[in-house]
Amino acid sequence: MDFKNHVKDNEIVIFADTVLFSKDAVFKCIYWYGDKFHTNVSFADSNTYKITISPLSTYIFDNEEMELYQQKLERDLIDFNLRDIVTKETLNIRDLLIAKAFSNGEFDEEPVGDVSDPVGFNVKEINND
Amino acid sequence: MTELQQDVGSRKFKELVFFDGSKTSSYFLLPFRFHRVTPEKEIIVNEVGDFLIIPNGTFQRIVEKKIEKENEPDLFGDLIANFFISEEPIPPLIDVLATRFRTKKIFLNYFTGLHIFVISLRCEHTCHYCQVSRVTENKQKYDMPIEYIDKGIEIMFRSPNPHVTMEFQGGEALLAFENIKYAVEKAEQIANKIGKKITFVICTNLALVTEQILEYCKEHLILISTSLDGPKHVHDSNRNKPHASSYELAVAGIQLSRKILGHDQVSALMTTTKLSLDYPEEIVDEYFNFGFEGIFIRNISPYGFALRTEKSKYKTDHFLRFYKKALNRVLEYNYKGHNFTEDLARIFLTKILTPFNVGYVDMQSPAGLINGVIVFNYDGCVYATDESRMLAEQNDFTFKLGTLNNTYKELLFGEKAQQISLIWSNEALSGCSECAFQQYCGADPVHNHATQGDMYGYRPTSDFCQKNMEIIRHLIELMESDVRIKKIFESWAKPRT
Repeated sequence: MDFKNHVKDNEIVIFADTVLFSKDAVFKCIYWYGDKFHTNVSFADSNTYKITISPLSTYIFDNEEMELYQQKLERDLIDFNLRDIVTKETLNIRDLLIAKAFSNGEFDEEPVGDVSDPVGFNVKEINND
Repeated sequence: MTELQQDVGSRKFKELVFFDGSKTSSYFLLPFRFHRVTPEKEIIVNEVGDFLIIPNGTFQRIVEKKIEKENEPDLFGDLIANFFISEEPIPPLIDVLATRFRTKKIFLNYFTGLHIFVISLRCEHTCHYCQVSRVTENKQKYDMPIEYIDKGIEIMFRSPNPHVTMEFQGGEALLAFENIKYAVEKAEQIANKIGKKITFVICTNLALVTEQILEYCKEHLILISTSLDGPKHVHDSNRNKPHASSYELAVAGIQLSRKILGHDQVSALMTTTKLSLDYPEEIVDEYFNFGFEGIFIRNISPYGFALRTEKSKYKTDHFLRFYKKALNRVLEYNYKGHNFTEDLARIFLTKILTPFNVGYVDMQSPAGLINGVIVFNYDGCVYATDESRMLAEQNDFTFKLGTLNNTYKELLFGEKAQQISLIWSNEALSGCSECAFQQYCGADPVHNHATQGDMYGYRPTSDFCQKNMEIIRHLIELMESDVRIKKIFESWAKPRT
């Protein structure tokens, strides 16, 4: 079925493929619209999120403004999906990094590597006397 | 890789190919975040605050692994060198990155440093925006009794921090100067005995200061922190003192304090009221002409009387316009060769441009409350921050940790502290967790509670978020737009000597 993003009856409706967009990205994105809009996420079908936002009663937007918000929401969805890719792909390395940062030696590199030798001398042969 | 390591001892300098561990353009992402700075530029910031400004659309190409080493060697190299990507699943220099992360959070090593003693709630001013209360009489009821001073000092020295600060606040602290003397001398004795460093600060409007008081401060190395809201008409309008000019008393007090204590032993803070918004340049000029090294443009705290009077209220975007004009004026002095800083910018710039953090309790994650500051109120109650006791003056005891009759453990590691600790890291807050400016900003549960009704807060309507996001974005945009400004900002970020 073909879903088309639109503005109608004071509502902005955006569709997002569940294969392409993560649920986390969708919710993290519309979180930022809660100051001016009522927000809702549902399924248009089993493979498509239907994201609907409509202005709070304290806000009145004309058609042009609503279209700008539609454009912003479409763009933000992509941004948040990209952010989500980074977050998920780097989850383990981030955990490792923080564990190392706050450890008291137990996560330090083991075995300890050779000291860097950028100018060619052998640090192990340096006489410290 | 093994071959490359064996080759190390054979020659001094290697060909470029030596460092080229991989011929393909495949890479792995490292943790970083992104934000759009302008319609043309976006910023990516890694886990330790290093940033790159890149053309619009680059973030998407990085994530989609479309940056090719052969075609874009400079960008590829920058991304590798700044820990945004790695050619190996675990970057070889992860221990360096971990050490840098640890450096950014080093303030956690020391725990509470600033100990605020509300030595008296009495005050002879009637400022309309005062965040506390004002009472002029009943010394017995509103001064901190000796018993509580003793207990506060005992708890202060339980802190593992090797360098504690004892700050006397009010009301007007000098109304209880005899108690300050008692507290200073007792704390000095203990500090000497156990080998801790201690710094004393008196926060005062200086209206009551005398040569005798300042001679005592000189003898005991006590710093003076005062208030100067701008030119006379702004200061006097903000800070009402019956039958006198608060401005004239403050100016005379600053001059006398500098004469006796030394120029750099006196600092001043301003608070931005609705009236101040019309005078950004004049307020900056006042600080410059007075010979201060800089000015800290502070918005009004949303607590106490400040929230109740229309005279003080303004919206965040009005403050931001004011801030940018004031910052521009500060920069104008720098263009003329003067070293004069705006201190909120300096805090952000230190976080943005250096490997270090700043011990500023309002802009830390985990938050500065308890970790950096604790407040002993005149009545024996113990609060998480200065703002927490302001809330208590409105009968909101959400951030009351206990009383001076509790133990150190009960106060700093008790149920309340544990409850607050669940939401004091911006790394774990909705809206903040994906924010590119996370490392430059902080968490403020007290502000969230005061303005939004819960400690967790809601970023889309948070004035804390709106203000910090825009100021950080503005600073980065300024640096990118003018190399002169970048150099000035870099000089601000260097530690003062």
